[in-house]
Amino acid sequence: MTRRSLEIGMAVGAATFLVAVPWLIPALTDNFWVSVITEILIWSLFASSVNLLFGYVGLLSFGQALYFGFGMYGVAIGIDHVGLSFWPAFGLGIASALAMALVSGVFAVRLSWHYFAIITVVFSLIFYFLAVSMKPLTGGDDGINFSLPPVFRLGGSVFSLTDPTFQYFFVLAVVSLCFFLMYRVINSPLGKGFLAIRDNDLRASLIGLNVYVLRLIAFVMAGFLAGVSGALFAFFGRYASASYMFYQVSGEAVVWTIVGGAGTMFGPLVGTTLFIVIREIVSSHWEHHSLIVGLLAILAVIFAPKGIVGLWNGWMTRLGERDAAAPAKPRLTLQAEP
Amino acid sequence: MSEPVLRTENLTRRFGGLTAVDNLGISLAGGRVHAIIGPNGAGKTTFFNLVTGLLSPDSGRIFFRGRDITGFKPHVISRLGIKRTLQVKSVFGELSVADNLWITRQARHRFLHPFRPAARDLEAKLQVEQTLEQIGLADLAARPAGTLSYGDVAMLEIGMALIAEPSLLLLDEPTCGMSPAETSRAVAKIRDLARTIDIVIIEHDMDVVFGIADDITVLAQGAILASGSPAAIADDERVREAYLGRPEDEDFVEEAAHA
Repeated sequence: MTRRSLEIGMAVGAATFLVAVPWLIPALTDNFWVSVITEILIWSLFASSVNLLFGYVGLLSFGQALYFGFGMYGVAIGIDHVGLSFWPAFGLGIASALAMALVSGVFAVRLSWHYFAIITVVFSLIFYFLAVSMKPLTGGDDGINFSLPPVFRLGGSVFSLTDPTFQYFFVLAVVSLCFFLMYRVINSPLGKGFLAIRDNDLRASLIGLNVYVLRLIAFVMAGFLAGVSGALFAFFGRYASASYMFYQVSGEAVVWTIVGGAGTMFGPLVGTTLFIVIREIVSSHWEHHSLIVGLLAILAVIFAPKGIVGLWNGWMTRLGERDAAAPAKPRLTLQAEP
Repeated sequence: MSEPVLRTENLTRRFGGLTAVDNLGISLAGGRVHAIIGPNGAGKTTFFNLVTGLLSPDSGRIFFRGRDITGFKPHVISRLGIKRTLQVKSVFGELSVADNLWITRQARHRFLHPFRPAARDLEAKLQVEQTLEQIGLADLAARPAGTLSYGDVAMLEIGMALIAEPSLLLLDEPTCGMSPAETSRAVAKIRDLARTIDIVIIEHDMDVVFGIADDITVLAQGAILASGSPAAIADDERVREAYLGRPEDEDFVEEAAHA
């Protein structure tokens, strides 16, 4: 089996599985897993925002929960306080996350490495405490509960996220679209500029790349991904809460990304799936399930610095080299075939 | 040419108590290869860092083709057409050799398209292929640049300078770490380039310097010790005493190069 056919096979398999989930899961196990998979999709989009910054631009952010929280509150405040319908609320969530990312990015991307990491944490802490204390607007610790407006009406029928199958496909479609957009960006001239800055920002500035502006663009794009995932999570949970803006949420996404594979398209999806599945299975039996998370993170950093997907890509490259080397053999030697 | 390609006025840069570049007034005419030599610590690389905007001067001005570029950001200066190589070889380690050249070519544009597939830019692709041939790295095009030998990285840096089509090229010890064969290939390449672009080169290898330079400026302690044609510099007593040593005393030059 060649590398390419194996990869195409896996992509088709994964896509088929994701489309079949609403029928496959109830046939195999409990319906509850459909909602777990929905949640995995949303959180993997959130982890992608860490991945875009860390894996492709070299900026380690511990503050992405801030934009997730803005996406959440945009939706919740839009629906509950302002009385918006579905799409305007979705738009408000994304727009508030983008605006927040732009404002904090202007300051944050001037810095790099630990200074950058620290300022992202500081920003998210400031707004976490603001959200907790501004009770009339945010509901503080209790958060905001709201009832879902319909997504759209077609003829006589109303489509709403209260239907778990429709909700699943809605989330799948939005997350897939975001992954597709990110894929396009990574493989564009802009994406190569990101990679150049990640590898060597001094050199990047000497060839004429505006490192500051490119980092800011990446930061706002990451804010977009986090904002969309936060908005989706608000719809999914029908509520918004300041607790999701806490830096622990940001930190989890960093761990998922690193274990799954930073700088790979699907690393965050793999990492997020792994940890949420472990959490769902283990947490009902053992309260210290986060020990497993820590252990896996340590193992990944030591033995698979490019994460699970990086490990896999390494095997695939070796497989590809073997494929390439095999037909060349008779030309290199005069020996008869064994 | 009346206007020099690069000119500085009273350029000074201090690091703590050390004055690396001291009231330097340099004027380099266009259409020639200028070599800057001098013992380590003479301020050669600091001078390049000032010109390319990596450092800002404590005082003085820098003019590029008559335009005051003092205090400009590195990427702005780069887009004006001043490109450089670094003394400690510096490429994009995890990008392939071809991608190193590709992004260097693209960086000349102000706008990087966010959604178009990079592979669809045929003009840049062609340029990359030509440059790979020119620098002799075509066979290594797909290799991550971080896995190349030191000499190949130095060659790639020259390729990156080439593909950017600079109008002024600053080379900081371009042949350092190259084998003799690579060095002569690089020297031929630089001579070839000099026909169309202005070049300033910092170099410790005197064979290279006297092989390419039209003019030589000798720096010592951040100031000009002497400047003139290679023949005049080789005959200058002060330069010989301060830096070159006796012509047959190769070790001295070697020592100076690695001190």
